[in-house]
Amino acid sequence: MPASMRSTSASSSAEAESPRTVPGKPWMWLAAPYFLLLLAFLAIPLANLGLISLYTRSASAIWSTDLTLQNYRQVFDGYYFYLILRTLRIGAVTTVCCVVLGYPLAYFLARCSQRALSIGLFLLVMPLMVSTVIRAFGWMVILGKKGVINTMSQALGFGPVINIMYTETAVVIGLIQIVLPLMVMPLMAALEKVPLYLEEASANLGARPLETFRKVLLPLSLPGLFSGILLCFTVSVSVVVTPALLGGRNARMIGNEIYDQVIASLNWPMASSLSMVLIALTFVIVAGGQRVGKRFRREPLR
Amino acid sequence: MTDASTTAPVPAAADAAPAGSSASLRVEGLVRRYSRDSVVGPISFEVNEGEFFSLLGPSGCGKSTTLRSIAGFERPDEGTITLAGNRIDQKPPFKRDVGLVFQNHALFSHLTVAQNIAFGLTLRKVPKAQIEQRVEGMLTLVGLSGYGARMPSQISGGQQQRVALARSLILEPPLLLLDEPLSSLDLKLRVQMREELRGLQRGLRKTTIFVTHDQTEALVLSDRIAVLSEGRIEQIGTPKEIYNSPSSCFVADFIGSSNLLQAEVVAESGGRVELLTSGGLRLVADAPQRPKLRNVTALIRPERIVLLTAESAARLPASSSSFAAHVVNVSYQGEDTHVRVAAGNSESLLIALKSGSAGSEVIDGENVHARIDAQHIRILER
Repeated sequence: MPASMRSTSASSSAEAESPRTVPGKPWMWLAAPYFLLLLAFLAIPLANLGLISLYTRSASAIWSTDLTLQNYRQVFDGYYFYLILRTLRIGAVTTVCCVVLGYPLAYFLARCSQRALSIGLFLLVMPLMVSTVIRAFGWMVILGKKGVINTMSQALGFGPVINIMYTETAVVIGLIQIVLPLMVMPLMAALEKVPLYLEEASANLGARPLETFRKVLLPLSLPGLFSGILLCFTVSVSVVVTPALLGGRNARMIGNEIYDQVIASLNWPMASSLSMVLIALTFVIVAGGQRVGKRFRREPLR
Repeated sequence: MTDASTTAPVPAAADAAPAGSSASLRVEGLVRRYSRDSVVGPISFEVNEGEFFSLLGPSGCGKSTTLRSIAGFERPDEGTITLAGNRIDQKPPFKRDVGLVFQNHALFSHLTVAQNIAFGLTLRKVPKAQIEQRVEGMLTLVGLSGYGARMPSQISGGQQQRVALARSLILEPPLLLLDEPLSSLDLKLRVQMREELRGLQRGLRKTTIFVTHDQTEALVLSDRIAVLSEGRIEQIGTPKEIYNSPSSCFVADFIGSSNLLQAEVVAESGGRVELLTSGGLRLVADAPQRPKLRNVTALIRPERIVLLTAESAARLPASSSSFAAHVVNVSYQGEDTHVRVAAGNSESLLIALKSGSAGSEVIDGENVHARIDAQHIRILER
């Protein structure tokens, strides 16, 4: 059976590649250590988290094991719900900005010379080597009321021009810097697979550069774009440090609330249910995104 | 076939060509400098309306640069390109109205066969019903009706090639450029596609420039051929002219197989010259024009040499054009048999014989006679 299935799939594609799967899957065991690690340090704690989220808060013992849905009810009304909305909004705005900023950059890196590529990649990855705390402080120095931008414009006689410290805008700016490489890398990989001659063919058939982008480049780079969007979004919605330092009290995100519930209020059941909701939301969005992305999963002919 | 070409409106070709001039494309003084030592050009040639014109040469000879300059993907440093009387060399590629079929087809893998063919028409905002009708006509023309809904990955290499051709032809460009379109196909398919391409081009009378490094393709397909070498045109002529009267050693060597013998002119009289080759062979050759130099190269095509066994040579009258030779190697090639012989002091000659014909049954080491008639020796001066 499997043999006949393989042969039909091979004959349907013009140039039959070697089969993607190894019969018998002997290599599967190489992934076993990682799966064990995931089981011990992710799946089991996660199940525990789900359990705690159903417990009742107790002032004396952090939680009591009386099961309740009260925590989840609380998540979906008032302040917490607003926090979730804000978190999703910040994640969405950051992701959109990364698409707009990242696409041209990814295109440049996919088409530039080897030398420019190594320099470009270095510049792109270098910020990842600096801790997010230090990067957030960097932004405070630049964006603050008495920061670099304002003092410079004051020295030139314009007065303070920006007042965005401790707003969502500041958080988005800080986040873009952190997640932009996550957009550029998969997009660049996808664009590298689109041969230059396809762009030439499009131009030869009368397409202006923008039409070539819309009708050839964009559809063929969709898989990379989807990966980038998912990575950017999932990382953006789960950050703690950046909103804590750049957002202050005005741009708190779910991550900050969970942190405070655990550390300050000692309300672990509430923190757990917030965590579960965040995980569930991320999961739904990722799964949905992958479903949409699958429809466009078509790689250029070689 | 006629269906598509008559129902589809002809936008550019009919009204753009100026009356009285048959040159469709004119390339003048085209130069492209890549670096100090790597320069293409100056290249100049004209392609007539409806002509199938080939640019033939080894890789790196400048044929692709020339083609890409016409399509607008390469910026020439000097020279002009005129299409149907209008200069196009300053226009961006998407405004040139020149159809280009790529070596690797360059189909859009996210679009169906029909969408690929319709690509240019949708950009031009042609009404949908008309697009469908014209795509259908094109699919029939290239023998792919019924394949419109397939994805490019679901059809064979030869079919992909036809889709690429249809995608360009549907826009009715006044000039069609083919960049080694057959080289990605296997041998049998290549021969078949070659014939189809020829038939299609003849039927549509489409002005075509064909770039290839394959001399057979060029000879079979072309009305005229330009042979290029090291960034320059060596010779332009019909396939027969190029084969029978090559203007240089390069052309002679590149097209077909040839015996090129270094020789000295030792005597001349009445349109004939007597040659003494460096290998010590005496030959008499026709020389319509008196050679300017004493040292020349004699070109003899392998199939023009007649091979005689020792007995049959003895029965024929001795002539100045025959000489004794010694068989060094016989290689059977199916239709042909190639015999390499040694003659004179140290001359080596390749002789191509039809298998089964007289002389083709010689064996290694046999002593034979060879005859080369004076009109089959061509004298090259460079």
